[in-house]
Amino acid sequence: MFKKSIWKKAVISGLAVSLMLTMTACRTTNQPAGTSKVESDYPNKPITVLQGFAAGGGSDQLAMLTGPYLQKELGNTLVNQYIPGATGAIAWTQLTKQTAADGYTLSITNTPMLMTNYLMNTEIKYTIDELTPIANVVTDPGILVVSKDSPFKTYQDYIDYVKANPGQLTIANSGTGGDDFFTILQWQKATGLSVKMIPFTGDGPSWQAAAGNKVQASSTNLGVVYSQVKAGNLRALAIYSEKRSDLLPDVPTAKEFGVELVAGSSRGYSAPKGIPDNVKKKLIDSFTTIAKDPAFLKGLQGAALPIDLKVGDEYAKYLKDQETEFKAIWDSVKDTIKK
Amino acid sequence: MNEIMIGLLNVVSPFNLLVIASGTGLGIFVGAMPGLSATMAIALLLPVTFGMDPAAGISMLASLYMGAMYGGSISAILLRTPGTPAAAATVLDGYPMAQQGRAGKALGVSLTASLIGGVISSIALLTIAPVLGKVALSFGPVELFAIAVLGITIIGSLSSGSPIKGILSGVVGLMIALVGMDPISGTPRFTFGQMYLFNGISFIIALIGLFSIPQALRLVEKDDAVKKAVSSIKDKMLPTFKELKSMIVTILRSSVIGVFTGLIPGTGGDTACWFGYNEAKRFSKEKEKFGTGYPEGVAAAEAANNAVVGGALIPTITLGIPGSSATAVLLGGLMVHGIMPGPTLMTEHSLITYTLIWAVLLSNVFMFLEGLVLTRAAVSVTKIPNLVLAPIIIILCVIGSFTINNSIIDVFVMVFFGILGYFMDKINIPTAPMVVGMILGMMLDNSMNQSLLMSDGSWMIFLRTPVSAILLLIALISVLQATPLFGFIKKRLKKTTI
Repeated sequence: MFKKSIWKKAVISGLAVSLMLTMTACRTTNQPAGTSKVESDYPNKPITVLQGFAAGGGSDQLAMLTGPYLQKELGNTLVNQYIPGATGAIAWTQLTKQTAADGYTLSITNTPMLMTNYLMNTEIKYTIDELTPIANVVTDPGILVVSKDSPFKTYQDYIDYVKANPGQLTIANSGTGGDDFFTILQWQKATGLSVKMIPFTGDGPSWQAAAGNKVQASSTNLGVVYSQVKAGNLRALAIYSEKRSDLLPDVPTAKEFGVELVAGSSRGYSAPKGIPDNVKKKLIDSFTTIAKDPAFLKGLQGAALPIDLKVGDEYAKYLKDQETEFKAIWDSVKDTIKK
Repeated sequence: MNEIMIGLLNVVSPFNLLVIASGTGLGIFVGAMPGLSATMAIALLLPVTFGMDPAAGISMLASLYMGAMYGGSISAILLRTPGTPAAAATVLDGYPMAQQGRAGKALGVSLTASLIGGVISSIALLTIAPVLGKVALSFGPVELFAIAVLGITIIGSLSSGSPIKGILSGVVGLMIALVGMDPISGTPRFTFGQMYLFNGISFIIALIGLFSIPQALRLVEKDDAVKKAVSSIKDKMLPTFKELKSMIVTILRSSVIGVFTGLIPGTGGDTACWFGYNEAKRFSKEKEKFGTGYPEGVAAAEAANNAVVGGALIPTITLGIPGSSATAVLLGGLMVHGIMPGPTLMTEHSLITYTLIWAVLLSNVFMFLEGLVLTRAAVSVTKIPNLVLAPIIIILCVIGSFTINNSIIDVFVMVFFGILGYFMDKINIPTAPMVVGMILGMMLDNSMNQSLLMSDGSWMIFLRTPVSAILLLIALISVLQATPLFGFIKKRLKKTTI
């Protein structure tokens, strides 16, 4: 009898705890829309950072590296909230359409997915005009890699092969609509050459297909394959940045071969449109300060993520320019891809 | 060799042992909760490990992974509700055993098989990881397609009773897998303009609904009289030496299957358990006993899913390629600890890596010991009256499906599949083939399109690579095995030999 009552108690308390958990979980998602009145003591409560991708991915990595420093600078806690789905579109729709513009909800914004989502799918309704871009933090430049036993020793070998065999070379990208997908399209436009694009489900499968000689090359990002290139599992032929990377100083830029291509994937922070000016200033100032912190920079370096700080209007212009560019590229190829 | 010994010395420090023990215990608990998966628990625990030494932190996460693989079977056996997707195949024989009043024995078999599978995979990790790691790279789209085709033949063996109904369920699963963004063209398919459906329907959400909700409803429908059989557990938990001897071949086979399934990027415990179960049935002399509460069925699925842990860690530590979704989160954890995942793990960070490997091996021991204690307590779950148990299962399902993506729509989808599962059960259509169809459909669709892009539309590409040709041949044999033709040939062969 005694045993039974203990069980009952255990069950009831278990129920209570689980109910409480459900309630708190619901509370954090449906935050009541607050007023966007000017607050001088911002932030006086924790700030939610929406992430459009699952925990442990690239955006999460940025949030984990930036979070502690930003938290110290702002003087309040940052709470990560993961809303993966539709390449980030679910989180960004929530940020632009359902979030109070009070600076207490931010989101990590990844290019080019932030723009290509709605450029490629009419069902996705948000645009970057509904955002207040705060700061871009890192830009991971595009890089062309081949397997260590590939016949292509240099970027020139690669170009010569593609010229001789138009449309034959198989090149992996991280997925249709992703940054590497657009990088290859930009590359084709810049060089006038054509390759056979094979989309994979993410950066990992893309470079692994190249490393295993399943495809002839992979267009990916420096941060993704840095350790593989260092260890000699992959050979980097060219990097799509303005100048050579400090991490891999022996890898030439595409520009050195006369290919005008600078591409990559950027990650930063944005707020909904219309946040109070003092809040925006406070956030921008915090990013400017932490970007000078040697410990923070060392953390980024350790993760092979090159810092690329662009704040406020500069970041907004960067997003807008990219939007125009990607729209033009997508309009020129969509009929051949969406058969 | 030296690093191996230092790693061993490092792991037996009191703090590290404590961390591994608590990681494993937490894993068993999380695994046993329907809806809370190992991947999610690792992601949640990740920030807790930041303050620790990297070796201890990563060891804790890996032991959690190991614990969860066993934990999933507890609720699969006792409640007919798989605690993790990797325990879905355990339900097939585990729950019938529990219904016959052999819940303790089923859990004991599960624990023993998990231990053996886990230890074998840990030893593979410790000794031949560099050799096996390379295998991961040899699996490209063409090979993955062949694996998916082979996997789909499993549907045939899951359709006990009416094959037509089983195939119907499997085909519906495959069709559901097509919902979402086309991976090749980026065009949304069957999404009806709903952004929620862009990523497709998560098989984990569907699985929670299909397995758990019908069970909760069944519990309410039934009276407690049926339940009495479960609560009287008198048999010994651990299998006797004789029982173990009869199952050991199955356990070893499943362990090897688990290691390889773990090794291949993109497939994990959720696939391995079905492969392990299917092969056990294929080679068994008592095929008809599978699905009726046959201990070997439990052992086959459970050895396979624990063997996945070591297998999935092999490419993770040798190449920086996650072998499963849980190890992908683990890699993210390494990055935050300032360690670039990649080939340097075996060289520059060998101390951390070998500590991790020993931790995985040791976590098996803790899993066994903690499992023995926790399981005895867990069996008491069957003493809870049905009318109390049923709502608890439903609450756990709601919490579980909500927390995966923080999405309330996921909860509605889970309920939808729950109701679907309930009616499927009423007209005797098995739900397991549907889950297998959903797991493999996405892989099949993606790898087939990628391969055909590479070959300019020629289907011969699948026969040109030896690995895929062999796998496709095995798939063909599996299909023929089920037809009368095969039985006919077998009879003829027997006659001629006699």
